[in-house]
Amino acid sequence: MKILVVDDEAKTARFLRKGLREAGFVVDVAGDGEEAIHLAGELPFDLIVLDVMIPKADGWQVLVTLRGHGIETPILLLTAKDAVADRVKGFELGADDYLVKPFAFSELLARVKSLLKRSPVRQQEKLRVADLEIDLVRHRAVRSGHRVDLTAKEFVLLTFLVRRASEVLSRTMIAEEVWDMNFDSDTNVVDVNVRRLRSKVDDPFPRKLIKTVRGVGYVINGEDM
Amino acid sequence: MPKTSWSLAFRLTAWYTIASLLLLLASTGTLYWALVANLERDATLFLADKVHVITTLLRERPNDWDGLKEEIQLESAARRYNQFYMRLLDAHGNTLLETLQMSLVLPAASFERLSKGATQIKSTRASLYQATEVIAPVGGTQGVNWKIQIAVSLAQQQQVLARYRQWLWAILSASFILCPLVGYQIARRGIRPVRYVAETAKRIGSSTLNERIQSEGYPIELADLALTFNAMLDRLKESFERLTRFSADLAHELRTPVNNIRGEIEVALARSRTTHEYREVLVSNLEETVRLSELIGSLLFLARTESPGTHIKREVVSMSELLESVRDYYEGPADQAGVALAVSAPHGLQAMLDRSLIQRALGNLVSNALAHTPSGGRIDLSAGQSSAGVEICVSDSGCGIPQESLPRLFDRFYRVDQARSQQQSGGFGLGLSIVRGIMLLHGGQVQIVSELGKGTRVTLLSQAFEPPFESPAEGLSDKNVILA
Repeated sequence: MKILVVDDEAKTARFLRKGLREAGFVVDVAGDGEEAIHLAGELPFDLIVLDVMIPKADGWQVLVTLRGHGIETPILLLTAKDAVADRVKGFELGADDYLVKPFAFSELLARVKSLLKRSPVRQQEKLRVADLEIDLVRHRAVRSGHRVDLTAKEFVLLTFLVRRASEVLSRTMIAEEVWDMNFDSDTNVVDVNVRRLRSKVDDPFPRKLIKTVRGVGYVINGEDM
Repeated sequence: MPKTSWSLAFRLTAWYTIASLLLLLASTGTLYWALVANLERDATLFLADKVHVITTLLRERPNDWDGLKEEIQLESAARRYNQFYMRLLDAHGNTLLETLQMSLVLPAASFERLSKGATQIKSTRASLYQATEVIAPVGGTQGVNWKIQIAVSLAQQQQVLARYRQWLWAILSASFILCPLVGYQIARRGIRPVRYVAETAKRIGSSTLNERIQSEGYPIELADLALTFNAMLDRLKESFERLTRFSADLAHELRTPVNNIRGEIEVALARSRTTHEYREVLVSNLEETVRLSELIGSLLFLARTESPGTHIKREVVSMSELLESVRDYYEGPADQAGVALAVSAPHGLQAMLDRSLIQRALGNLVSNALAHTPSGGRIDLSAGQSSAGVEICVSDSGCGIPQESLPRLFDRFYRVDQARSQQQSGGFGLGLSIVRGIMLLHGGQVQIVSELGKGTRVTLLSQAFEPPFESPAEGLSDKNVILA
């Protein structure tokens, strides 16, 4: 998978390249709009991470030019402005997703992954992590053969974690996905809910599946830390 | 073309001067005209009087030649002032009698002008006379008509008028010089208070915002201006203080995390450490930067709510659904805190608003309520139709807010309990500012009613909440209806 990162901030570009490479992607970096247009026209990328405030041609221009040339590569916009109007403008011009600086790298990674596998996902009936099994049809979670009694929201939360198993999910992403809360204040609420989920899913068992990643969020996986 | 702007004093002076000169000119002109008319009338009456005497003499006593001589020759010759000449002509135009030397001064021919309608004639020495010519029947005898020519000197009158004109010119020229001078002084006196106001205004800078203009002793218009100006200064001072406080608070909020990051890194780099120790430092730094990011996010959000160009995305939102979504989100923490969280909204009540913004506002309010309500308490989320539009209420049975804190509640970084550090409360003290910002974006307002020890009730009100279509007011949903 090949990703083009467009950002004129050297440090930002560097950590994006490093992080994305370590996540298994091939990364090219463009420092300005013209270079971005040139590279995207020459090479086949699977995704473009595009900063809006870049020299020579800004992100909007790059976006319009690429879409004008019939290049339909998914584009993730990065911007320092969180204005709704900007967000709407981005989507109208053909961007696929939008992230406001400062952002959590884990969130960028999660969005990149979800953009790359946006192709139709086969509807699974059962999800599994280690000895935890989720039956989506019957709305049931079973661990080591014991049924785990969950509320509706807890079930949605667990399903979200398991679907994105091994991906670190930020509190904001969880709040957005599970409760449809599109703001990142008072993320303590997510902590409380995860704690309650843990008390049912992990507490009775010696092996803990839900892990806290300090400063980032939560992840569910079968590996031992 | 730039419009030239003259000083107020100059303009006032110019207007005064023009107005008073015009008035002066009009009044002196009128007086002069009246004088001229008066003098002319005097002369006319004098002539009429003389004519009357002579015609009476001729009619009554045509043979009294001495009497005529006395009247015509001697009386006029004896006069030094108001000198007049008289001549008696027979039907053929021969002079019968005339004032001494009259033929030298005013020959009979000089009266010819009168037949052309003039009332004044000139003598051989070119001085002006008012004259008249009258046909007088002699002794009542039919057919015998003599002619009387009579003229009175206007020299004296003209002298009077000439002197009068001199005075007029003197007065006018003096006024022409004095009016602007006096006018300017008056204008200066008149606008002195304005100048004083301006000087005070000039003196006031960011550090002397305490100075005020004294509003006593001014004319009403300026007292009003001074009061308005002072009120503006009050507002300026208040926002200035707010801004100063805000900068100081902001610096403080930034200093803590930055200080932590810097210190931890410096200590970590002082000697070599295990991977685990480095990891600990990085993770701790990450937590601090996350906090910083949140702070920046909140401040940017606030800045946006205050910029006039910000638009919100309104959509039709069902009130009960909105409140339930917030309840769902906070149910866990409320449960853990032992606080009951209940929703009540009329079934079918809808409003046009920005869903995620209002969710955020309500989230902040519920989060505050949770932090200040002890176990066993309750929080009620309710929506209803008010006269203005729709109102949403978040009320708790918590500890309440002290009276003196109410005015500052919406200030950024203000925390009622200053001793409660940000680590304990988890917030920056921006929550209510954000709530107010969101309501401003909706064209609405926030109302807080609180009683110490009893609880707090926050109401979001907005005219812009008007429901897009009629919603049935009856049938309150019976579930979760709890009235405190």
